[in-house]
Amino acid sequence: MNDLIIGMAGSGGDGIVSAGESLLGALAREGYYAILTKSFGSQIRGGESSCRLRVATTPVLNPGGTLSVAVVLNWEDFLRFGGELPVGPATIVIYEQKTGVEPGDIPLPVHPTIVLPVPMAELAMKAARTLQAKNNVVLGLLAGWFGLGREAILEGIRRKFGKKGAEVLQGNEQAFAAGFEYAEQHPIGNDKRLSPPAGVLAKRQIIDGNEMCAAAALFAGCKFFGGYPITPATEIMQHLQKDIWKHGGSLLQAEDEIAGIAAAVGASFAGVKAMTATSGPGLSLKTEVLGLASVVELPLVCVNVQRGGPSTGIPTKSEQADLFAAAFSSHGDTVRPILAPINVEDVFGITVEAFNIAEQYQTPVIVLSDQEIAQRKDIVDPIDTSRFKVIERLRPSTAELEDYSRFKFTASSVSPISHPGLAGGSYLAAGIEHNERGSPTSSGEMHSRMNDKRLRKLDPLKRRDDLFIFEGDPEAPFGLIAWGSIAGVAIEASRLARAQGLNVKLLIPKLIYPIAEDVYAKFFTSLRRCLVVEQSHQGQLHRLIRMWVDVPRNFSALAKSGANPITPDDVRQKILQLLSTPATASQPTSAS
Amino acid sequence: MHHPSDDCGCSPTPATYTAKTFRSDLKPIWCPGCGDFGVVTAIYRALANIGRPPHEIAFVSGIGCSSRIPGYTTAYGFNSVHGRALPIAQGIKMANPDLMVLVAGGDGDGFSIGGGHVPHAIRRNLDLTYIVMDNHIYGLTKGQLSPTTPRGAKTSTTAYGSMEDPVNPLLYVLAYGAGFVAQGVPADMDGLGKMIEEAIRYPGFAFVNIQSPCITFGEADDQMKVQKTRMRKLAAEGHDPTNRLRAIELAQDYGTELYTGVFYRNPNPPPTYDQQIRERQAALAPKPVAA
Repeated sequence: MNDLIIGMAGSGGDGIVSAGESLLGALAREGYYAILTKSFGSQIRGGESSCRLRVATTPVLNPGGTLSVAVVLNWEDFLRFGGELPVGPATIVIYEQKTGVEPGDIPLPVHPTIVLPVPMAELAMKAARTLQAKNNVVLGLLAGWFGLGREAILEGIRRKFGKKGAEVLQGNEQAFAAGFEYAEQHPIGNDKRLSPPAGVLAKRQIIDGNEMCAAAALFAGCKFFGGYPITPATEIMQHLQKDIWKHGGSLLQAEDEIAGIAAAVGASFAGVKAMTATSGPGLSLKTEVLGLASVVELPLVCVNVQRGGPSTGIPTKSEQADLFAAAFSSHGDTVRPILAPINVEDVFGITVEAFNIAEQYQTPVIVLSDQEIAQRKDIVDPIDTSRFKVIERLRPSTAELEDYSRFKFTASSVSPISHPGLAGGSYLAAGIEHNERGSPTSSGEMHSRMNDKRLRKLDPLKRRDDLFIFEGDPEAPFGLIAWGSIAGVAIEASRLARAQGLNVKLLIPKLIYPIAEDVYAKFFTSLRRCLVVEQSHQGQLHRLIRMWVDVPRNFSALAKSGANPITPDDVRQKILQLLSTPATASQPTSAS
Repeated sequence: MHHPSDDCGCSPTPATYTAKTFRSDLKPIWCPGCGDFGVVTAIYRALANIGRPPHEIAFVSGIGCSSRIPGYTTAYGFNSVHGRALPIAQGIKMANPDLMVLVAGGDGDGFSIGGGHVPHAIRRNLDLTYIVMDNHIYGLTKGQLSPTTPRGAKTSTTAYGSMEDPVNPLLYVLAYGAGFVAQGVPADMDGLGKMIEEAIRYPGFAFVNIQSPCITFGEADDQMKVQKTRMRKLAAEGHDPTNRLRAIELAQDYGTELYTGVFYRNPNPPPTYDQQIRERQAALAPKPVAA
């Protein structure tokens, strides 16, 4: 096998997430690629917890669908995750024998061929005299049955428990060995073993999207962060507070979301690259100040890590339903560029791009990450930072400072920007409408010209087709569109479809807004059908595109509310379903 | 003139700044007779005495009549959104601690919509000067109840009289530990200019409440003529401004007695947040590689 999806669930204290992390570390050292996603009940601490780990010999595009292996420490907790840990007939189910369920009676809607009850607790007690070692029994079982890096896992156990004394370390090593031996004594066949990793063994890192975002911000030259803790965005601030000082910057954990973004706008006014990060409820609170940043034309990066909404919603689970809020939620005629990364690695380039666009066009930029990307851990190849340029804002020349106009009308609509401390550059940054010099005005004519300036300067963005991914035959009659963390699902689905002989092409926007009309129009030319795949109930991108572009007649959405995984097979099935019904000449179908 | 503190970052050479240096070409649109004219003049005078060039000053405000004030100076101004002047100012000061950062606004901006930011600005203690033009009314929107409107007052939103007690801005900031707290009136321009100068020179968060009468919507007994008869100078009353408990006691009379002058000045100012930022940056900066 060269692609394995393992799902594990237990109660908070079972250490199942910790086992997933140990396994991920071991697989990275062995040279595999993997994605680890964790899922918890709505309480951040305690309660049921689960993780799924997809490992492959080549880069992993998404967390995958039906599990290859299900590890069940107790059934109640496992079943709580429902569609997040889907079991199919081919899934190998490993469960705690102590649950008292007979292999033929396991409480699942399907009856997998291979069901393996294991006395996990008993093995742990015998080996380590503590139930806490159960997760290392599980690792032993997985290493034994699926050939997952025995030595690398043991090395991880030594690192983790080495400091806790010889007895603890020995107990955990023995628990692992007990699981491993159990697997050897109960063979399930060598065809279940993972193939050796392909290619060269690079020094890969294990990293989640939030940490990647912080690293990228520092690379881009971010010197100020203002924010407020909120799940699932907090880790961006946590990572930045360790390092931003070393770069001559500073960080404010503000008293609220509004103060966080307001301080960032202040820092940008003072001349440094500034950032805030939040999630849905925080975005709602920040919108007035986002409008202020648009009108005073100050660069600002606002990362919004989407979670289930509205209101408190499902804070621990992913959704793509903040697109309308990001695009439209400040009053008046504004356009804020919105970028969305497609995976953990991509968070780097997209965050740097967000700073570049913010600085170049003197505008707030929203990065729409999502909980999936932000908190899952990927094994990522080293980032070649030489691929990324860093753009600085346009400063006034000495001649321009002789008679400085902050909001001067120019050919590009971008005006040189001064900052306090620069002699000759004093101006009034006013949220109230202003003229070229920054003086307040209520003239309709000036308002119209300034609106035009603020919108027109962003037009070049619409030609940035480098912020899109295309795959497939340009003349294909069927098109697939997806964004954010669902992009990886669509990429795999379109490849599956093409492998099946279906002529399907793919468009992945990373520039979400403004809508690049020409890029979509070109993509739509050959299409008889188009499907937008996204994790929101209304299908927000599907609707946003329709607002700006003439879409194909059969333009539909595979749209699911957050916390409901969309798998490559779901998408493939939907493509097949659409292709089996005649393309109509009627009105476009709405989101389903 | 150089700052009394050694690390203020300003030029130590004597400058030739006058009040005029800090006055912009923009004509104030306040009603004739507004107290804010006196306030902006007092600010020009204080800035001239301190002598930092206008471009080294960032002057932030929110929304309201008084929040127009940065535009009437030659400093870098930021006339932002309602209630958020303090967090914006803190971001500016953190990004560039060398700047002199002034914040101004009205009682609504500071103690109603932006009231939640005040305690945090105080406890962080960045070197900012916060000037509130307190007129006990919403003037820009034509006469509604403000957080400092006295109980019983009839306004355009309390036709039968206000049923709530006002905020006491002096007690508010003293309670949260502000290191410099003063109150002035435009009826005493000399005192006001000196007080603002002293506030700016204080190394830390400094608060000046200015009873700045609203000529159009304000109460008759709030006006400048009345201020002249009602005001009681704290210095003349023998108040020791290092006595915080006494300052708190005097501040309780906000609304009944019109005390002017410095209520409290911390004789041992603690390190500012901006100083600590510099220290942390220096401590964590990558060490230069030895040649």
